[in-house]
Amino acid sequence: MTPLSWIILVIALLIAIFLPRVGGLAVYKSYRASQEREQVEDALKHLFDREQHGRLASPESLAGALDLPRGRVTKIIEDMETQGLLESRGAQLRLTSQGERLALHIVRAHRLWERYLTDEARMPLEKIHSEAQRREHSLTEAELNDLDAALGHPTRDPHGDPIPTREGTLPKAEGTPLTAWQAEGPIRIVHLEDEPALAFEQILAAGLRLGQTIRILDRSPKRILLTDGETEYRLAPAVAANVSVAALPASEIEKANAISLAELKDNQRGEIVILDEAVQGFTRRRFLDLGLTPGTIIHPELQNFFGDPRAYRVRGTLIALRKDQAAQVWVKPVQVDT
Amino acid sequence: MEANDILAKAESLRNNLSTGFRDEIVKSLYTEAEQIARRAVKVGVNKKYDFDQKVDRLVTSPYAGLPIMLILLGIIIWLTVSGANVLSDTIANLLFGIGDIGRNFFNSLGFIPWWITGFIWDGVYLGLAWVISVMLPPMMIFFPAFTFLEDLGYLPRVAFNLDWLFKKTGAHGKQSLTMAMGFGCNAAGVVATRVIDSPRERLIAILTNNFVPCNGRFPTLIMLATVFVAASFPPALTSFVAAGTVVGVVLIGVAFTFLASWILSRTVLKGEASAFTLELPPYRRPNISRILYTSIIDRTIFVLWRAMQTAAPAGAIIWILANIPIGDSNLARAIADWLNPFGLMLGLDGVILLAYIIAIPANEIVVPTMMMVYLGAGMMIDGPSTNAAIFDLLVNGNGWTMLTAVNLMLFALLHNPCATTIITIYKETKSWKWATLSVVMTLGAAFLVTFTTASIARLFGWA
Repeated sequence: MTPLSWIILVIALLIAIFLPRVGGLAVYKSYRASQEREQVEDALKHLFDREQHGRLASPESLAGALDLPRGRVTKIIEDMETQGLLESRGAQLRLTSQGERLALHIVRAHRLWERYLTDEARMPLEKIHSEAQRREHSLTEAELNDLDAALGHPTRDPHGDPIPTREGTLPKAEGTPLTAWQAEGPIRIVHLEDEPALAFEQILAAGLRLGQTIRILDRSPKRILLTDGETEYRLAPAVAANVSVAALPASEIEKANAISLAELKDNQRGEIVILDEAVQGFTRRRFLDLGLTPGTIIHPELQNFFGDPRAYRVRGTLIALRKDQAAQVWVKPVQVDT
Repeated sequence: MEANDILAKAESLRNNLSTGFRDEIVKSLYTEAEQIARRAVKVGVNKKYDFDQKVDRLVTSPYAGLPIMLILLGIIIWLTVSGANVLSDTIANLLFGIGDIGRNFFNSLGFIPWWITGFIWDGVYLGLAWVISVMLPPMMIFFPAFTFLEDLGYLPRVAFNLDWLFKKTGAHGKQSLTMAMGFGCNAAGVVATRVIDSPRERLIAILTNNFVPCNGRFPTLIMLATVFVAASFPPALTSFVAAGTVVGVVLIGVAFTFLASWILSRTVLKGEASAFTLELPPYRRPNISRILYTSIIDRTIFVLWRAMQTAAPAGAIIWILANIPIGDSNLARAIADWLNPFGLMLGLDGVILLAYIIAIPANEIVVPTMMMVYLGAGMMIDGPSTNAAIFDLLVNGNGWTMLTAVNLMLFALLHNPCATTIITIYKETKSWKWATLSVVMTLGAAFLVTFTTASIARLFGWA
């Protein structure tokens, strides 16, 4: 190559590296900056989570939660102190009020995203946590309020955790861990802890879901035995501690006497009692639009030759639903008047 | 009170709402509507209801359901293909006749150089005329027939019957309808995906629609099926064998649709098979004027207009390529020769690839462009008039084998969407990302499949 083309090449290279905003260096810098911001925000979440559980975080616990070397964590803590986000007393880390406000923002973003991913994008439950983890850092306060409004101001995330309000208050978490629940009788699953992921996957794999009505059959130090009336579930106590339960609310008692629309026999008529709480967002709106409201009489009319979907007659219209959709509508069989 | 006060008040009251208040709102709306309806509507014994039920039982029954569907699809495609043949010739004669008059007029003026006459009449005009004459007739038959079934209320039953298959691949049962629409035109099929209300399933339907061969690709398939497959059967069977081959290719396309849907819903479009709610409206007598309006104005004219916008420049480019001399040949031939090694690797040849590159605007002109290059002509032309002569030209004159024919059918089925469809995908998704993916995905599938069949055929010494 001629010297001239070398010079042009070098100049082009320099421009590619040092060009503001789009150059290699600028891109790397903004990448580093956003990475640092995400680490700070993750640290805030960890501190907040600890304080919610009545404990204080330490540099060790923070290093574990962020999965970073101690040196880096020390640097992050120093940075956060200068920004006025936390106070460190010896080995104890405490959020300042400003830090708490920011932490609530991140928690709110995370849980609203989880709600969105479940209701609107309909992602499987075991995938939403990591996706929300990626997205929680990107929204401003105003954008978050818009998301909140678009989702209809939900109060709980898909795991049953309360979502902070826009005013910055966090409703109390409800429920008692399954391992600590003592009373007899039917109970309802109100929260499934999604961390650690392994335990969460075991819970989902066992077939338990939020809002399910269960009964404790037997407990021993090795396992807890549950039933929903049909299937028996066996959980190790360590896993069961991640499942929180509460007494049945009134609607649940109604549901207890109902069967799901999918179980309704071909020649039966049913009256809709309630739409399952697990159906939210898009699917719920669709159901309501189609007139699947409580009190409506519905009966199966047409069976697909593979058994799924099935078409139901509602208010004179014929509507086909897949089995898993029909399983989310609770009905009470009613007498056929012939 | 100021607007802001009201908003603030609503904000504070919202926290006290019970979670099910939306359900209550809808419930009260329905109760109100029911009360009004009870006062206004008298319900007597309904004979039509019984009849509808009987028909529904029949068209969704295990034994009759699928055959009825296939027979209806068969009838529509047969009507389209055979009816279009007659109409196409008439329109082609008319339009090409106008072209001749125009060319003669330009020539008789004397002062217009040959290349302007050629560019306008043998390039732009011929491209337009060709696309219209090949495209318009099948659409004029297919769309009304399709709209007839739609108006009748039969199509939702098809979605109902086939939903289990789509559920398995993570897609929506209504995708069967958009696929059926794709037989008419993939761009129209992409627009038709608006009936799918969940975004993820709708994207799957959009991206895979191209695996259903549209009217524009039928001529290529029919030509190959007639010349290569049906030729080895007795003449009485020719049309049936040709039709059977085309149906076979269509089924391969359907299989690819399912495969692609399955892969998409496990990779870029991850998610559960979501809410499937489908209304099965009562059957009603089709309204002829509405059918004609929807099918002609909304569908045929819409598609034709978009196709014409891309066909005119394509005609121009084809003419330029065929008329720039290089040595004792032309630019088209030179590019085809250059593409040839790659084409042969895929079991095709350079001319076919060139034809598909130029025919991105409209698949209708693939065959005439191929014939143009093979025959060294200066404009798009019909091939030889008899099947035997076409066979002779391709096999003896240009080294085609059975592999070339099979792979061209596969390539015609799988290759990238035409420009009209790509633009429509962009307009429907508002994203170049999805439009690009639709091209990359289909083209990748086409290259992969043809390369595999070519390699296998060569390995076993078939080609």
